[in-house]
Amino acid sequence: MCDHHDKLRSNNRDLQSIEKQWDRREFFKKTSLGIGAMALGSLLQSEKLWGAVNPVAGSIDSLNSFAKNKLGLPHHLPKAKRIVYLFQSGGPSQLDLFDYKPKLKDMFGQDLPDSIRAGQRLTGMSADQTAFPIAASTLNFKQYGESRAWVSDAMPYLSEVVDDLCFIKGMHTDAINHDPAITFFQTGSQQPGRPSIGSWISYGLGSDNDNLPTFISLVSKNGSGQPLYSRLWGNGFLPTEHQGVQFRSGKDPVLYLGDPENYDGNDRRQMLDYLKKLNGMAYDAFGDPEINARIAQYEMAYRMQTSVPDVTDTSDEPDYIFDMYGPDSRNPGTYAANCLMARKLLEKDVKFVQLYHQGWDQHGNCPGGVKYQSKNTDQGTAALIKDLKQRGMLEDTLVVWGGEFGRTVYSQGQLTETNYGRDHHPKAFTMFMAGAGVKPGFTYGETDDFGYNIIKDPVHTHDFQATLLHLFGIDHERLTFKHQGRRYRLTDVHGDVVKDILI
Amino acid sequence: MESSVPDFILFLGRFHPLVVHLPIGFLIFAFILELYGRWKRDSGTSLAIEFALLGGALSAAVACVLGYMLSLSGDYDESMLDTHFWFGIATTLVVFFAWSIRSGKLNITKLKGLKPNMASLTLVVVLVSITGHYGGNLTHGSDYLVKYAPFGRKEKVVLPPIDKLEDAAVYDYLVNPILDAKCASCHNSNKKKGGLSFQDSIDIKKGGKNGEAFIAGNVAKSEMIRRTMLDPHHEDYMPPEGKTPLTDEEKSILTFWIEKANADFRVKMGELETPEEITSIASNMLGLEDVTGKSGIPLPKAVQVNEEILKDIADAGFKVRELIFESGLYEVVLPPHFISSKNGEELDGKLEKLLPMKDNIIWLSLKDNDVRDRHLKTIGQFVNLQKVELEKNPITDVGIAEITGIQSITGLNLYQTKITASSFENFIKMKGLKRVYAWGTAITEAEVTSFAEKENRPAIIMGM
Repeated sequence: MCDHHDKLRSNNRDLQSIEKQWDRREFFKKTSLGIGAMALGSLLQSEKLWGAVNPVAGSIDSLNSFAKNKLGLPHHLPKAKRIVYLFQSGGPSQLDLFDYKPKLKDMFGQDLPDSIRAGQRLTGMSADQTAFPIAASTLNFKQYGESRAWVSDAMPYLSEVVDDLCFIKGMHTDAINHDPAITFFQTGSQQPGRPSIGSWISYGLGSDNDNLPTFISLVSKNGSGQPLYSRLWGNGFLPTEHQGVQFRSGKDPVLYLGDPENYDGNDRRQMLDYLKKLNGMAYDAFGDPEINARIAQYEMAYRMQTSVPDVTDTSDEPDYIFDMYGPDSRNPGTYAANCLMARKLLEKDVKFVQLYHQGWDQHGNCPGGVKYQSKNTDQGTAALIKDLKQRGMLEDTLVVWGGEFGRTVYSQGQLTETNYGRDHHPKAFTMFMAGAGVKPGFTYGETDDFGYNIIKDPVHTHDFQATLLHLFGIDHERLTFKHQGRRYRLTDVHGDVVKDILI
Repeated sequence: MESSVPDFILFLGRFHPLVVHLPIGFLIFAFILELYGRWKRDSGTSLAIEFALLGGALSAAVACVLGYMLSLSGDYDESMLDTHFWFGIATTLVVFFAWSIRSGKLNITKLKGLKPNMASLTLVVVLVSITGHYGGNLTHGSDYLVKYAPFGRKEKVVLPPIDKLEDAAVYDYLVNPILDAKCASCHNSNKKKGGLSFQDSIDIKKGGKNGEAFIAGNVAKSEMIRRTMLDPHHEDYMPPEGKTPLTDEEKSILTFWIEKANADFRVKMGELETPEEITSIASNMLGLEDVTGKSGIPLPKAVQVNEEILKDIADAGFKVRELIFESGLYEVVLPPHFISSKNGEELDGKLEKLLPMKDNIIWLSLKDNDVRDRHLKTIGQFVNLQKVELEKNPITDVGIAEITGIQSITGLNLYQTKITASSFENFIKMKGLKRVYAWGTAITEAEVTSFAEKENRPAIIMGM
């Protein structure tokens, strides 16, 4: 290389004098402190001392920090190696999908008893209603599998795999509106700014595949509704390389991977090395760890130029796989196609794959909306579970399905024989998990006859997050990051592992 | 008995262990100064000795008062407490005496010739040591000091080994070891926290200040188990904060003993109707083979692997990850397509490299790496494996026969391999095996259905 940069140098006279001071400090730092630090380092086992500085890009030495985790993780034997979290954004109606309440049929149109609502706060959308008429689901429910789990006919494909699922019917959360609720689920706090679950896991456990991001998010293009924003898969205060990388929902999940016309790409490595050197100098001058994160991301992008086309190419998938995921799966960016892509990413040991599907916000036309949403997602979800199972991946892959809250038993707006709307309901809703370490064919928790309050085994959002980390071998109380003077964790000061759903 | 002592007195009493160290320090320091003064023939230390003695005397007096307050809690063995109590008071008095001689406040002509200073100081040090020793015994238990001493170690009562779970006395073999490990440090014959001791069956039956420790057959009313089941933040939770809590398995055993064994101290496992869960926990505790096959395979105890060995393995292309921090238990992955039919010979050498840590590997993935039957012979030596991924390799039934000796495997991935239904026999031999993934093999659905009727067999998971 023919550069002659080894330090940042300024043309400005004032700055030059500052730079001289830097040089003097540098000298002292490198001589006195440096030697002291080295001596200390050898006392404290060098590995731990340099461990924190290590993740500068490109330094993929053979052993890597892979064999021994510098954070002292995992705390116990993990069950899960990777996870696919199928986020159903908007708040799917548990009453029209899984939480079957036959007694509601007789109470059709009656006002929800005050004893049940018990003064619970409602959203501004239905708080002014003069009546809260009970809306029994118009969908038909049947029991399936050996586990006799109730599923409505909106999800015919999922009903085939109920014996692999663990339903949690007593989920509850703190927030009642989309943005705080989804932020709460993803980061453990209703206020934005904390790291997402995937970022915590990336930070805590590192990568299993150096050529792909540890945390990838996919938003399906055939759902629309309440907005999603990149901070949901953001790293918050964790180092930036742990943020989720969003793949676009289209033909090219990552743009500009191919070489432009008339460029063979041969000197790219050289260009990046030089860039890295410049960034390294900037880091020496300013000491901003974000510069290291940037270096790491450039290197990741370079490796992704070969790894991403490889993993996103579905052309070698046989027809019967596409058929299982449904016709949508041939249309890149749909939920079904993203499910298939998720399987491929998981096969490559991407640790955390997060899918989002919007549009589960049925304030009006609930039966029709639920059916429509199910039509777009049911086959993909079921196929993903089957596909992971037949490949043996359900052994150590966790599948999570759920939204940010549930929906009310009373109708928002007009209730008719065939139609009703449902408002947001944080006090009880259903999620399901499958795979690594959770009981298959199992239902946990129970709601009252109205599906309004939990009467048995409630699971709070923080409990769910604690359980998720537990399955990865992490004690949620011990994975912390110090920021602005205090140590933060995903579950803040809450959360209990739901041991009853674990194998 | 308990209610008569105000909380505030007990609160102050708990400062006794802190304050007692003051007189110990003062007095030993005075003694050292005295020795130093004599050795150097330097009388300059005299004032300091006097001061140290006064400090020692006053702090000893305070310690006595606090100690008395602490003793009111009634948590300690009476006779040992008495000795400590009187020695403590004696020490304090002697210290005051020594100080009065030294300061000249007390002038006894008869003692003049007896080098009173040295004599009284020696006595003080001896008394302090004795008092301190008894105090230590009270807090830590009388076997604390010499437990790890190289001499005179008493052999613990060793239970005769048993081969069958049925022969194990529930209390002696299962309950007592738990109480010993988790409870007896505070509840023994010397230190009876809450008046309760788990020293032997008589003590346990006697119960504590709050009544009986257990009610046979009634877990909810059995204090010793109820308290372990509370929320860990609850005031009554046992063991208290800072001590190791009981595991779920241990709680199950205690519950079983009280509920099903009627808290009998003699009954043997064989005489009881034992739920499978208890059988498997008990088998694990006693290191017996778990006949139910239900329990999670216990994690093997592994020695740490040398960094050099890990580096060597990583250089060979394996990914190595420690599964629990500093447990010495590892996951080893050879990335897919690392080996193909072109460089198939290399795999033999690579697997050889794993042998130095063969007992440390519990998850192994060699998928899509041209693994052949001969390689499974090497893998057969990895006796602690729990999860094995061998999919997409040209493995046949012959290879499977090589790994049937590994009883700890629970999940075995063989999809898209060349195995057939004749491997079923071998799967049954693998006691821990729960799931075999066999999609894309010669095995048919019909074969799986008929195999499903057998007992104690793993689930064979097929695909579309």
